[in-house]
Amino acid sequence: MSSAATIAPARTPVKPFYFNTSAHLLRITTQKANTLAEFLEALRVCPDDSIFQHTFRTLQEHHFIREGFSNDFAHWALAACNQPGLAEQLANVDVREFTSLSELRERFVQLVDKHLELNPSDGARVAEETFYFCAADTVMMPTNFVAATMQDFAKGLREVSVHSIHHHFIEARLRLKLMSNDFSQWLHEDVGLTDAARALNRIDIYTATLEDVRRQIVRVVERALA
Amino acid sequence: MNPANLQTNTVPIDSALSAQPAPRSPERRAAPRPWQTPPAPVPAPHLDDYESIVGAAELSELRFLARELKGKTVKMVNSTAVGGGVAEMLNRLVPLLSEVEVATHWDVITGGNDFFEVTKAFHNALHGAPYELTRAAQEIFLAYNEQNRQRMQFTEDTVVIHDPQPAALIAARKDREPQANWIWRCHIDLSNPNPQVWGFLRPFIEQFDVAIFSSQSFARQLPIRQYLFYPCIDPLSEKNKELDESVVRKTCDEFGIDRSRPIVTQVSRFDRLKDPVGVVQAFKMARKYVDCQLVLAGGGASDDPEGAAVLKEVQEAAGNDPDVIILDLPPWCALEINALQRASTIVVQKSIKEGFGLTVTEALWKGKPTVAGAVGGIPNQIIHKLTGMLVHSIEGCAYQIRYLLTHPEFAAQLGKNGREHVKENFLMTTNVRRWLLLLRLLQNRTR
Repeated sequence: MSSAATIAPARTPVKPFYFNTSAHLLRITTQKANTLAEFLEALRVCPDDSIFQHTFRTLQEHHFIREGFSNDFAHWALAACNQPGLAEQLANVDVREFTSLSELRERFVQLVDKHLELNPSDGARVAEETFYFCAADTVMMPTNFVAATMQDFAKGLREVSVHSIHHHFIEARLRLKLMSNDFSQWLHEDVGLTDAARALNRIDIYTATLEDVRRQIVRVVERALA
Repeated sequence: MNPANLQTNTVPIDSALSAQPAPRSPERRAAPRPWQTPPAPVPAPHLDDYESIVGAAELSELRFLARELKGKTVKMVNSTAVGGGVAEMLNRLVPLLSEVEVATHWDVITGGNDFFEVTKAFHNALHGAPYELTRAAQEIFLAYNEQNRQRMQFTEDTVVIHDPQPAALIAARKDREPQANWIWRCHIDLSNPNPQVWGFLRPFIEQFDVAIFSSQSFARQLPIRQYLFYPCIDPLSEKNKELDESVVRKTCDEFGIDRSRPIVTQVSRFDRLKDPVGVVQAFKMARKYVDCQLVLAGGGASDDPEGAAVLKEVQEAAGNDPDVIILDLPPWCALEINALQRASTIVVQKSIKEGFGLTVTEALWKGKPTVAGAVGGIPNQIIHKLTGMLVHSIEGCAYQIRYLLTHPEFAAQLGKNGREHVKENFLMTTNVRRWLLLLRLLQNRTR
């Protein structure tokens, strides 16, 4: 979070929060993999949009699942390659720990590379299903919600689509290049609610649905308002 | 209703329609059946009608996406105005796009029997069937495409060609609107096409700006951008709209289905690729451990010799089992199918080969725990153990039926997740969103 000089007095937003959202179109790329070795090669060269699609975006597409789904790579390693150990490692990669797709890609490459180094015979084993690398083409857009007050902010949080929640709360770090999210940034910089901003960053997105996440965000904001 | 009195467990709708006593419960069929003739088409819904399902925020996003496209024109071209999934989808999509002021016109190509025989053969060959492509077939295909090219106007900003039949209309791009975007929407599985037919069609496809497929596995290596548009269902259609409990009850009574016991249902035409005999076998294995009934609701037996043969095989597999209820329904029984799916405890789709598998989508939308073959587009819909159960064998199917019937809380969670999965990815409103996004991306690219 930025310097204290920009921090506003508590509960009076310096500037409004504009709720935006993003819409994604699924593009089929030319990369695909039938073995873990092919997967590793494709993982190294696929477009950044593919890394985004199979991690950030798939989390959004499956936002209603509370357990057992984190990213497409882990799912494929388990369901098609029968590699539970590798799948667990891949599933443990938390997108919130990355502020760039290249770092995120590198983490997955390291994990698969290490696995194949330790288990070289796994590389050529044919998977039950092909992994098709897709990519997301993205359009950003505004919503009808603008919050000039904390009450408006809470209302917006309750009423925007889950796509908007994902856009501000999860995808945001790629834009901000910070280990944070748009809501926390605004609460900290423009409202002065630093504790609430920090509390939002502790919400676990992998053990909750996106609707659960929304409810937790609203709870934190309401508590700050009380 | 006493099923034990029945000689056969099949309810042949045609005979029931012709006012003959139906074999299962003639006493319940005094009133004329509502599906004696095809019902009048229901007017297409408006975008606002979807608000209670997808929420105001989603509709607002669609309208925003459309704003930049206001005044743009789109032409959809396919080969049939009625019947089949593509026409059904266009019937909904075209008015919805027009409602958000993206004026969309739907044109249907014409052709003689010889043309449609060739395109039917192409269709089967693209699905992998053996076929010897002759020069005569190529000439017929090209001649009718040329006829249609001369008959039709291509003045729109975007032209969308559905499936291979009108693919050669791309020739119109050169001489009419070179700035227009041309999109090829392929609804069929091209994962293993006949090389001759694909080799013939490919040069046409490569002239489009974009190709759209229904599954990533259906796509081909092409020099143009390819997008994934899942097929979708309309939650407001007769087959998927919410039903009053009384309609569900009445339908079950009509067909002699006991709602006090678990109901396992497969809805699909009598086709070996849907493995209805395998479903009967799986049901019989499962029923050794759990009480249940099986409903096989399908069609295609009255107008298709192969369908009739499959129906006979299913009847033989069922034997005199009163708990296997086989319904040979005419194609306009959408409301009855809806009611049967809603009455079901579990829905099965044990296909051996499948396109996308919209009956799975329908079941998931109704919140039904679903057991389905891991083929075609089904794994896009069923994430094993999260939105349903994928199976690879009759034994696996039997086990999952047993498991779900004895673990209702887990089954309910699958059903809940499955419905959300459909809401997020496979509804008509999502389809509208994808089209608007693609049109915007293409517009911005050509600016």
